[in-house]
Amino acid sequence: MVFSSLIFLYAFLPLCMLFYFLIKPLKGKNGVLIVFSLLFYSWGEPVRVLYLLLSAVVNYFLGMGVSPTRVELKKDLSTPTLRRKILLAVSLVFNIGMIGVFKYSRFVVTNINGIFGAELPVPDIVPMIGISFYTFQVMSYVIDCYWEKVKPQLSFYKLLLYICLFPQLIAGPIVRYSTIAEEIDNRRSTVADISTGISRFIMGLAKKVILANQLYRIVDSTIGKNDISGLTILGAWYGVIVYSLYVYFDFSGYSDMAIGLGRIFGFHFNENFNHPYLCKDITEFWQRWHISLGSFFRDYLLPIPVFGIRNKYTSLFLVWLCTGIWHGANWNYIIWGLYYGCFIMFETALGKKRIAKIPMLIRHIYTKLVITIGFGIFFFEDLGNLGTFLKCLLPTNANGWSDMTVEMLMANNLFLVIAAVICSFPLVDGFKKLSQKSENVKSLVSVSGTVLSVGLLLLSSVLLVDATTNVFLYWNY
Amino acid sequence: MGREVVRKRLTEVFRDVFDDDSIVLTDNTTANDIEAWDSLEHISLISAVEKEFRMRFTMKEVSGMKNVGEMISIVAERAKK
Repeated sequence: MVFSSLIFLYAFLPLCMLFYFLIKPLKGKNGVLIVFSLLFYSWGEPVRVLYLLLSAVVNYFLGMGVSPTRVELKKDLSTPTLRRKILLAVSLVFNIGMIGVFKYSRFVVTNINGIFGAELPVPDIVPMIGISFYTFQVMSYVIDCYWEKVKPQLSFYKLLLYICLFPQLIAGPIVRYSTIAEEIDNRRSTVADISTGISRFIMGLAKKVILANQLYRIVDSTIGKNDISGLTILGAWYGVIVYSLYVYFDFSGYSDMAIGLGRIFGFHFNENFNHPYLCKDITEFWQRWHISLGSFFRDYLLPIPVFGIRNKYTSLFLVWLCTGIWHGANWNYIIWGLYYGCFIMFETALGKKRIAKIPMLIRHIYTKLVITIGFGIFFFEDLGNLGTFLKCLLPTNANGWSDMTVEMLMANNLFLVIAAVICSFPLVDGFKKLSQKSENVKSLVSVSGTVLSVGLLLLSSVLLVDATTNVFLYWNY
Repeated sequence: MGREVVRKRLTEVFRDVFDDDSIVLTDNTTANDIEAWDSLEHISLISAVEKEFRMRFTMKEVSGMKNVGEMISIVAERAKK
């Protein structure tokens, strides 16, 4: 099930909230969330929920197994025992292995067949929506248990709640167990929480339905066409710039909805986006884009000595290779990850002090160019098409600078694209600052916020009735 | 190895890695106090400390050290020269 669907908005969520707030004990509330989360995940493909439960059971036992026992704690051992090390290895093999089976087996087998001329049967496996997200969550839990950063969760239901909580289950943010461990046992939703949560959810919904879905129509008519050999220079650039905006509103909209829903039920998730297009270098872009994935790799992958050597460049290579692979089972994602790795290594070699001396305008042009072309690489899973597209961006493009279709498309969508660009700026923060000026301004901002939320919800609902393209980009991950 | 000896040698390593001769280390110094100390430079720092004292940090230590005091304790216990 997706958040931006009428069934979620007008049946699933209201029912879930009704039961949640009718039941008073926290145990009951947690139960409601588990039942609704499993229903949410099994929607359309009930068999998926079995794997989710298997993963929860296995990692529940592994979380306890990799933690020191009471006797071990008393001895205050400086290195983990062999049992703990072996179980950590088992958990990594199981979790990464399962992502491999469900997400990459088809890619690997196709490549082996292609390279070695083998005729291995290509597996046909039910895609496990969101497996990369929830598996990363549960891996962070087990590793944190091993590192003794958190105590293992002794109640299976509480761990299951952490893993399957529907707001963040299928497309992030990747919530750490330590972030919500206390809230699983002790939380309350105040009226302010519920109202903030609902506004945040509607803002995310509007980003998805009003901006992202409409922007995607432009992408479909430019770089998304079946045959892109006729793209003009303007067509290629316009298409990929709009696609970059689309990805941002699609994914950050999802994160807003997730964070908002969490808040309604009293959970405080970390932010996942921080206006990434304001970045002044590529390193900063990744500190503002999909923050929960970046911090996962920072904490669990960066410290790994590659071939026994600790070096920031080898670590960077590993992180960006994995970032690429994580994003999808195709070569273009791997190229995309390494492409970013190259720019980040370049910036690291240049050093912060030297980068700071470069004029701001040049830094903005450089970052926006890298990001836009990057999303071109991200978009084309077919490498032949990617090559054609990259050639179309160049002034040597034989199709010329522009054509009627693109000019019409630009004229018809002028306001939509301008609105999208404006919405990439921190508008909400601006209004918050404004409302601190005086009580009158505060109440004005608050009333307009409510009116705006209602308006956005109505408009989104109307658009959803008529929606054709509505699947989240990141939900296959 | 004594904590003060470790601190003195560690200060030199920090000054070298972060290219800043004004760095003075206390037990409470954290990454927030040194501008250039981000997650990536942390890897260079760890590598330089490991070379200087001919010892190894575990993954848990690399990712979980809270402040310089903790680093000094680990080094003081494990340093080979």
